[in-house]
Amino acid sequence: MSQQLIALAIILFFLGRLFWQKRKKQVAANEFIFWLIFWLTAAIAVFFIKTIDKFFASLGFSSPSINILFYLATIVLFYLILRLRIRLEKVERNLTTIVKEIALTNKK
Amino acid sequence: MKIICIIPAANEEEKIGEVIDEVKKFVDEVAVVDDGSTDSTAEVAVQHKATLLKHLVNRGQGAALETGNTYALMNGADIIIHFDADGQFLAEEIPDMVKPIIEDGYEVVLGSRFLGKESNMPLSKKYIIIPLARLINFLFFNVRLTDPQSGFRALSRGAAGKIKIELSDYAHCSEVLGKIFKFKLKFKEVPITVIYTKFGRNFRGGINIIRDLILGKLIK
Repeated sequence: MSQQLIALAIILFFLGRLFWQKRKKQVAANEFIFWLIFWLTAAIAVFFIKTIDKFFASLGFSSPSINILFYLATIVLFYLILRLRIRLEKVERNLTTIVKEIALTNKK
Repeated sequence: MKIICIIPAANEEEKIGEVIDEVKKFVDEVAVVDDGSTDSTAEVAVQHKATLLKHLVNRGQGAALETGNTYALMNGADIIIHFDADGQFLAEEIPDMVKPIIEDGYEVVLGSRFLGKESNMPLSKKYIIIPLARLINFLFFNVRLTDPQSGFRALSRGAAGKIKIELSDYAHCSEVLGKIFKFKLKFKEVPITVIYTKFGRNFRGGINIIRDLILGKLIK
């Protein structure tokens, strides 16, 4: 129970921070929605941890659901890093296009 | 028949002048792509009467060659030569690279360090890095060649128009080979000599090439 309260407090902290960033216009609308859904899902998962435990047990998983949530979180993180790398690579290619155009225009 | 030689150069002030002077004897125009050098590479290139295309920031050898290819195509090149700036290749071998395109209708000619001519290649490169590169090229592009990482090549105008180099750095060697096979271009490997003045790419460079190839595949 105390672990759940700590987890909820942490989530509340990040939710508060998210709304504060939104008010200061430091976060784009899409990004705000993504993180809002992310933290609310996390809060629901923590709140109903016992029910999720039973659900996963009924599916035949032996480890507690918090472990499975960690595995899922790790997978999501890896996916987000990959997306970031791909986005970065696209930015790099755009930069190369600009550099190339400047080089061709200013030929000596 | 207009031949333009593209020389990508990053901080090569010591060698670039000599290389331009040698190459000029065998081609109609030398275009140096200064890839964000912090030394006087650009000034030396202009002094030696080469066309200068300056990348304001370093974008890698592949990107520099793509800039050079675009320039050469815009300026009526019939044959484009890719040549290194560090003096590793011999300019007098350019006619050997061009001949199969002019006389036998080849579209791409690739220089190979493994077809008989002597090179003072470091053993680690000969027995570890190059065989690994061959394997990677086979796995990624189903390409089998004696020298998968050679930077000395000649392209016909038609081939250069088809091969758009998208991978900025050294992975471009594999990318070019992949596109030769993809577009079914008529190609030939010819023996070249390479003089190793410094070690070149290390193992980490090889890892970076694999990383770039994977990212390149994911982006498409």
